[in-house]
Amino acid sequence: MYVFLCENSIEGIFTGVYDAWASRYGHRNIRLSLDTPDTYELFCEYIQVTPDLEKSRRIGRAICSSFGYEVYQDICQAIMAAGKEKKKALDKADCVYRTILLGFAMHDGHRVLTALGEPYVARVFELARTTNLEAHHLMGFLRFRELENGVLFSAIHPKNDVLPILGEHFTDRLPQEHFMIYDATHKTAAVHKAGSPFFIADVTDLNEALIQNVSAEELEYRRLWCAFFESIAIKARQNPKLQSQNIPKRFWQDTVELC
Amino acid sequence: MNIQKTMSLMEKLTILSAAAKYDVACTSSGVDRKGNGKGMGNTIAPGICHAFSSDGRCVSLLKILFTNECIFQCAYCQNNCSNDVPRASFTPEEICTLTMEFYRRNYIEGLFLSSGILVSPNYTMELIYHTLYKLRHEHQFHGYIHVKAIPGADPLLIRQTGYLADRMSINLELPTSAGLHSLAPNKSRRTILKPMRQIQNGIAENKDELAVYQKAPHFVPAGQSTQMIIGATPEHDYEIMRVTESLYQKFGLKRVFYSAFVNVNQNEKLPMLPGGPPLLREHRLYQADWLLRYYHFSVSELLSEDRPDFNLNLDPKCDWALRHLDLFPVEINRASYQTLLRVPGIGYKSAGRIVKARRMNRLDFSDLKKMGVVLKRALYFITCSGHMMYRTKLEENYIFENLMRDRTQIPVGLRNSSYQQLTIWDV
Ligand code: SF4
Repeated sequence: MYVFLCENSIEGIFTGVYDAWASRYGHRNIRLSLDTPDTYELFCEYIQVTPDLEKSRRIGRAICSSFGYEVYQDICQAIMAAGKEKKKALDKADCVYRTILLGFAMHDGHRVLTALGEPYVARVFELARTTNLEAHHLMGFLRFRELENGVLFSAIHPKNDVLPILGEHFTDRLPQEHFMIYDATHKTAAVHKAGSPFFIADVTDLNEALIQNVSAEELEYRRLWCAFFESIAIKARQNPKLQSQNIPKRFWQDTVELC
Repeated sequence: MNIQKTMSLMEKLTILSAAAKYDVACTSSGVDRKGNGKGMGNTIAPGICHAFSSDGRCVSLLKILFTNECIFQCAYCQNNCSNDVPRASFTPEEICTLTMEFYRRNYIEGLFLSSGILVSPNYTMELIYHTLYKLRHEHQFHGYIHVKAIPGADPLLIRQTGYLADRMSINLELPTSAGLHSLAPNKSRRTILKPMRQIQNGIAENKDELAVYQKAPHFVPAGQSTQMIIGATPEHDYEIMRVTESLYQKFGLKRVFYSAFVNVNQNEKLPMLPGGPPLLREHRLYQADWLLRYYHFSVSELLSEDRPDFNLNLDPKCDWALRHLDLFPVEINRASYQTLLRVPGIGYKSAGRIVKARRMNRLDFSDLKKMGVVLKRALYFITCSGHMMYRTKLEENYIFENLMRDRTQIPVGLRNSSYQQLTIWDV
């Protein structure tokens, strides 16, 4: 058995898929795995995959052209999911690899993610759904504050790597604003300058002082929003359980009205 | 009017949002529109919830009245002209500022603008039109707008407003015209249905225009909706659902909303509701509404003259299935999509997944679970390759008892408080 150890990123896993394929060891003798295992198994050869942009692009293009953009997107979103790796047999990287193999073996690869009877496809499907759901939640729940310099700033604590989805959404929505969405879990940020595309940057030390410096009107709009939020609730229908079911507590800290 | 000038934006917002809250619609769904790179805003078809208020409802739009001064006298409404409540009116500019500033901070998905009737229906409709015009053209707002058409306003004004909005609605208010007559004497079925028909025709014509000329302006692209108050008048669920069905079929409505009656006015024409607003009943109506829109059910299958109300204990689909046990169990690997839709515990999304996945493999119970099927509800009604999940009786009482043990039959928050929601009409 050959085990390809991939970095936990789209580039890392796609490069792993590329290397595994190119190795010609035969798919049955290959496994993909995320990072270093705790214990090395006997009779396994471990191969460290170095993420490579060109290889990863090739796999991306192959998926797009053979299975369609939607499947490509779902697979990327599956990789962006944190995915608790307790299920050893269903390693995220390996599930992605097997799903891609199945797609190429199928008559119509566009339908690969409907083969939910296959456990690894079901896993990819489930992971993609997790990312998607969290991204959709945050499209609603994240809040911007206006800093003194007019930049809109937001901090979030997502489980999955949803920043690329959010960056795209808000760039389309607020094309003429400077904004920055800071992902405190992954220590990255989506940065957008008015009129340009956004990009993702690593943020190791955030300037705390700068982001506390809000504009003169900021507090007024927060007060107005909280007042609206209070008065829109119907007291006769009070239902805190339903409220925390609809907006899970972990999102509260980054809102304005609930924190 | 002196009071108004000195009133702060905060006071106005508090009054005019509290006055708008009994309008239950707050969805921002139904239309996909990319940003244009210049202004601000886009919309996505499933809609986005930005917050959930303490009653658990989704807050998606800045839901406000233009004014709560009103010349009408609807008995159920706190803004009616004989009530002594603080009154306020926004200016169009104030509404634009609030919308833009809330939107760029991502508090909201757009604006829901309704209004009391100030001076006359036309006068009010014109103010609303003017506000939307400013918002769309001066402020370049491209987010979601839901606007109320004022019954009795000039059709031309309604039409012009429709080109600026994503969704329009006119509330039916009460399910029957008798109810309307007794509680909302200034409104009539005619002044409500006429503009509703006009908007329907407008949407249809616009489809043709767009087919010919892609750049034609969009008219109410997210469709129209309406709302009925539940429990203020003595109609049965059967009458309500029949009205709903014809609104969907004959008026092409996108959504019908139900608002459990909250007694704000203590008017003697209105029922006292000792158990609070009939929330569980409202919940069953919404479930049945889904069955009409997504599950190919018709009202006559769910209710009848002899059984005019939903069973509060069970969701309407389970209730239907229990009365049609002869149709079950169905085989997952063979049953048609339509048949799968009728199985309790199988949603329309999972039904779609089943149909696709079974082309490739035979499905068993563990696969169903992954596709989102709620097995503890479905297990009585299905087989996989001829086997049931475990031995169970296909018998009404037995299944009923088991389903009742499944707490999800009554939604969270309604479990303890309103198990028995007696309104005076139930006794
Ligand atoms: S028209 Fe009737 S429902 Fe509307 S604000 Fe006036 S009194 Fe209330």
